[in-house]
Amino acid sequence: LLFNSLQYLLFLPTVFLLFWVLPHKLRVPLLLVASYVFYMSWKPIYGLLIFGLTLGNFLLIPLIQRAATVKAKKWWLGLVVAANLITLGIFKYAYFAVDTVKESLTLFGVNWHAPHLHILLPLGISFFVFEFIHYAVEVYRGKPLVKSFMDFALFASFFPTQIAGPIKRYQDFIPQLDIASKFKWEYVDLGMQWILMGLFKKVIIADNLALVVQAGFGHPENFGSLDLWIITYAFAFQIFFDFAGYTDIARGSAMLFGYKVPINFNLPYLAANVSNFWDRWHISLSTWLRDYLFIPLGGSRCGKWMVYRNLFITMALGGLWHGAANHFLAWGAFQGTVLILHREYVELLKKLGWAEKLHASKLYHVVSVILTFHVVCIGWVLFRADNMTIAWQMIQKLMLAPVSLLHFSAAQLSVLQIRDPIIFPALVLILPVLMLSHVVVNFLNGKKIYEHPPWAVQVVAMVAAMCLLTIFTPDTSPRFIYFQF
Amino acid sequence: MKSRFLTALLVFAVLNLVVAVVNPCRGKAADFPEMTWTGWAVKHYIEGPKPNVVFLGSSLMLVPLDGVDANYLNRKIDGSQHHSSVYFESVFKKLTGADIRTFIFALPGEMPSDACLITRNMLSGARKPDVIVYGVGPRDFMDNLLISPCASDPYRYLSRFGVQPSLVSNLMPDWTDRLNYEFGQACYLYGNKTDLVCDATRSGARQIERVLPAPPGTKFTIFDRHRLMPDYHPWELSKGEALFRPIPPDQKIPFEDNLTEYRKRYATVKWDMFVSQMQFLADLMNTARKNGTHVVLVEMPITDLNRSLLKPYAWKAYRNGIKALAHAKGATFINLEDSGKFQTSDFGDTVHLHSRGGQKLLDLIAEKMAESRATRVALKLPVENDKEELAGRMPALPGLKGAL
Repeated sequence: LLFNSLQYLLFLPTVFLLFWVLPHKLRVPLLLVASYVFYMSWKPIYGLLIFGLTLGNFLLIPLIQRAATVKAKKWWLGLVVAANLITLGIFKYAYFAVDTVKESLTLFGVNWHAPHLHILLPLGISFFVFEFIHYAVEVYRGKPLVKSFMDFALFASFFPTQIAGPIKRYQDFIPQLDIASKFKWEYVDLGMQWILMGLFKKVIIADNLALVVQAGFGHPENFGSLDLWIITYAFAFQIFFDFAGYTDIARGSAMLFGYKVPINFNLPYLAANVSNFWDRWHISLSTWLRDYLFIPLGGSRCGKWMVYRNLFITMALGGLWHGAANHFLAWGAFQGTVLILHREYVELLKKLGWAEKLHASKLYHVVSVILTFHVVCIGWVLFRADNMTIAWQMIQKLMLAPVSLLHFSAAQLSVLQIRDPIIFPALVLILPVLMLSHVVVNFLNGKKIYEHPPWAVQVVAMVAAMCLLTIFTPDTSPRFIYFQF
Repeated sequence: MKSRFLTALLVFAVLNLVVAVVNPCRGKAADFPEMTWTGWAVKHYIEGPKPNVVFLGSSLMLVPLDGVDANYLNRKIDGSQHHSSVYFESVFKKLTGADIRTFIFALPGEMPSDACLITRNMLSGARKPDVIVYGVGPRDFMDNLLISPCASDPYRYLSRFGVQPSLVSNLMPDWTDRLNYEFGQACYLYGNKTDLVCDATRSGARQIERVLPAPPGTKFTIFDRHRLMPDYHPWELSKGEALFRPIPPDQKIPFEDNLTEYRKRYATVKWDMFVSQMQFLADLMNTARKNGTHVVLVEMPITDLNRSLLKPYAWKAYRNGIKALAHAKGATFINLEDSGKFQTSDFGDTVHLHSRGGQKLLDLIAEKMAESRATRVALKLPVENDKEELAGRMPALPGLKGAL
């Protein structure tokens, strides 16, 4: 079931109605059944996988708590984490591992006939495996166990967040299940507002940008340097609106049942440096990586080079988490590298004594935001390209932008020459508006009129969204980008 | 009202009602956002003179019709723009002395469900032809690659002229398609979104042209776009994209092996699809009869290679089915499969006749039609003899009888 499908339009209200009609004790079982129906509608057999992992973790993780010694606790934790990672590895990285071994052997002149694997990546496995590991580590750190299997199973399979997060924390989610809340219209209003907003981001913005991105990344040889920058900006906003749209729908769907799930984005393209970008982008993943990878590796409480090593490993593995391919690994490594360079830069400024003065200047902040956005965009090229050859080809062309700017003329822009679909020339107008939307939301954030808009404004906005979505939802919409992870 | 969302939903419903009453999309059925094989055919059918004979069928019929004309006229034929069979008209004139006007409504991938919609929406009323010549092959009834009858390009276009309630269940066997359709019926904005999007896009394009005019010397063509964006409007077809070239008599025509594709098409026989497509064929014939149009059903020849992929019972069911239907509905049945006139060398691949094979096909159809009393009557030609061509009349297939 896709969030942007008619089936979901039937599924969600059905579950919603049943949820509020049923007595409290039947609500969790209902959501659990609904979540498994949701998951198994794609490939029924994988229902067994998520159930097996849930059961295994539910039975094994208490052994961490019961272990008498720290060594034994560590041993059980290692076992649980390894079991989860091996499962993830088999389903997600088997192809990549076989290909890598094959290519490496070829370098040494060995022609290995690799076995032909028939493994289909189960949807959402990267997300629920991370939730299991989080639970195991928290229990190891002394946090309480989840008593009810039903609650635990729902934590892992909760349909709004099942396929692409946000990655939940059990301490935040499980207690909500025990509250016998009464129905409030506020849940519907807020939930539907988020769902409509999410669908708008996905269907109206991201899916239209996808047309340009697909053409540009599919055939970079057909575009000039400045075109490729525009296409890269388009991808930056496509992935943001696609994933933020998904997250809004997930949060809105959860809110219909009175549950809160964490936010994932906070105006990421207004980040003034790469470190700040990771505080604003895919927050549930970046905090997971911080808590369960960076800190266990030693975090920042060690020597400079060890911190850099930890940063690099965390980001490279974070890249690989997105997909089993070299370009994802390269993207992660790029993020790690720029985070290290940023730390070095901050150190340098401090040494020179300019840091405070510079940071206080508005101009410096604006330049930093623009620069950070461009660094992030270069990262997106690695992320989006189908392989490293295309990524490298694009980056080489992007670097030639100053030369193209020297003798700039509108006639050289291919995006202006393509008149159908009109999104190509319209990009020149749309992209600044999308960037400006970040600035406007940033300005409005915290203001009463934005947080609690007047009744009529909210109704008009919802009606407008309903009309636009009804008319402009295409018959076939691309899947959410993060579904593949 | 307590809820802002419910208020918004109510306003949305009222707005829909108001727009439905105003109906801004009235009369826009023939104005489609992008031109496809179906779009061009519909446009030319509506705009052109009324034909006497209309050809229906899939590429099995289309390819020989256009290919033969390319040879006959000794020039390139643009499939999207060429909608009459000049060769057939001339052969028929030679045989009968009559001037007839033909129209090619054969479209790539056309199924009986599509042909049925064409007959109901285009070949009825004031523009009904005298004769429909419908060439069918086994693929038309048992194509595994067809997701649903409502997933085809002809359906997308022709459904805009209306879908008769009696056809809905067969056109949308899948519940999600049906849900989509019903939602479109209930919600004006959703049901007419193609027109609304088209209007918005055109208006947007005009604004963009004003603000950001195309740079002078822009050379970006639809061919470039197809290469860059193969998935964008995959059915769109512009002028000059589907050319049939004349083939000199001494040139050898290569044979393309498309058995792999047909293995997939015939992989499993979906009986529900088979029966529903037979029902569409029956509906087509009923509609034509009601309109006073005579139907000539042609069992198109295919190669032994292709036939060998079909399970014997599927082949038998197909042949008996079309024969029984033709006789039951009073259509003229031309069995070219058993004619013995076609060899593998007449085909460009395992199912499509090339232009030379196509010439044989049209000669045979013209000959049979000229002989057929029913066809001559329909075309208001003098009836020279009472010879009826309904030899080999078959009893209706018991399994299909009730369904049809």
